[in-house]
Amino acid sequence: MKRHPASYRDPSGYIYKEDDRIYRKITPSYFNEYDAIVTAKVYELLWSKKWLIPHEEIYRNEHEIILKPEQLEFITYPYEWSFTAYKHAAQLTLRIQMLLLEHGFCLKDASAFNVTFQKGKAIFIDTLSIETYKDGEPWKALQQFNEHFLAPLILSKYYGSQHLKTLQHHINGLPLKDAATLLPWHSKLNPTIYAHIHYLGKQQNTTTGKKTTDSKKQLSKVGQLKILKSLDQYIGNLELKENTQWSHYYQQTNYDDTSFTAKKSLIKEWIHDLQAKKVVDLGGNDGTFCNEIIDQIDQALICDIDQSAIDASYKKSLKGHKMTSLVIDLLQPVAAIGFNNKERDAFINRLKDYKADVHMALAIIHHLTISGNVPFEMSAPFFTSLSEYLIIEFPDRNDSWVNFLLDSKREARSLFDGYNKADFERVYLDHFKILKRQEIKGSHRTLYLLQRNEN
Amino acid sequence: MNLMYYIDPSIGMMIAQAALAAAAGFVLFYKNALATVKGWLGISKKKDESDFDSTYDDQDLNQD
Repeated sequence: MKRHPASYRDPSGYIYKEDDRIYRKITPSYFNEYDAIVTAKVYELLWSKKWLIPHEEIYRNEHEIILKPEQLEFITYPYEWSFTAYKHAAQLTLRIQMLLLEHGFCLKDASAFNVTFQKGKAIFIDTLSIETYKDGEPWKALQQFNEHFLAPLILSKYYGSQHLKTLQHHINGLPLKDAATLLPWHSKLNPTIYAHIHYLGKQQNTTTGKKTTDSKKQLSKVGQLKILKSLDQYIGNLELKENTQWSHYYQQTNYDDTSFTAKKSLIKEWIHDLQAKKVVDLGGNDGTFCNEIIDQIDQALICDIDQSAIDASYKKSLKGHKMTSLVIDLLQPVAAIGFNNKERDAFINRLKDYKADVHMALAIIHHLTISGNVPFEMSAPFFTSLSEYLIIEFPDRNDSWVNFLLDSKREARSLFDGYNKADFERVYLDHFKILKRQEIKGSHRTLYLLQRNEN
Repeated sequence: MNLMYYIDPSIGMMIAQAALAAAAGFVLFYKNALATVKGWLGISKKKDESDFDSTYDDQDLNQD
């Protein structure tokens, strides 16, 4: 039994891994709460809405209760979510709190890490976050909700999607006084921002360490529901006005219809030949190519550096159940953070654990090599470490994007003379064998199906 | 049983929630009134298919 390194904050229990499966242990201090929730059929209610990860109780004695939760396909963290996904995770937390209040329970914390995405949708994964509601008690997780969800969303609305990555350097959320300092003065004119960021940030400063009587901490359930509902409405209406060069990539790119169709057909054919069921598209843009093969596979991860493209992918996949979309920069993938650097795992570790059948690297090698200066000698072993098969697209030096990238190197252009098909194949053949190679008609690009060399 | 306060709920935050509830009540009243007037004038916002409620709608739940 190996306790999960992220599961240490709540004394009610913890999750652990055994025989490659995740289990949850409940300690005696939470037995009464757990039994009350079971008796009230609250778990069933949340499962029927697909809001909470399902579990079954598999063992109980006086020292422990063991739950076997449904296994997650791939855990994503808040700093990997697109804007709409972040909004949905926030709204899920609020909706669960509202539903729980109606049934005499509440959430005792509102960490954004309590939510991840399964089958394309936000799902709450911290089963032990529920406790009995005490009449008249305010929501003690409101501050945490604002620090984990509201502040990053509002900062993104004003300054851009890079603020969705706030929890990567503030694992416990962005302090509200810091958020208030960063926001423009006119944000105070918005009643929700004023109340939840500026006003609460100030309260946090003036009341730290002070004692108060319980009578001052009273708030009716109706009052709390008003707060939750107004937050839910505000977040639901939030928009991010941000367009990037990749937002409409496939409308602007140098493919014509014939080459685009040819590329799609090749990928469909090769995925079929491999009988691949788990696919990762490392430069997936808005998920266009994974959508082409969606009927052939069981699940896919769509990764891209561009928030707008991943947001489009997320929205498209909401009804599909098979795709998980993540904002990932391969030149700066998410690192492991938290206690002992193990609480939240690095992206590359999770990717390896995912054990995909095939990775696709479509039109990203020129960005890695020319923009990122990553030589073929380093990108090839990186790809071999991920899966046995790789579908990779190589745009040659006549490709307009490659030309643009080379031109942007100015006088250093000659340093990239090694960016050519012959050198690419020479280096990659040290690590892979070529199963298939096909030039894409009407383009200056070649598609390869590679298999890792067994050492 | 209060031993489960493993996050710091911040006393200031707890007290401030009464003021927040009053502000939220005003905002909700104002928004609902505005939505009603917009409805009368036929300028209601078109439903976004990627909003939270559509994500978990019944049609979708039945696909499994």
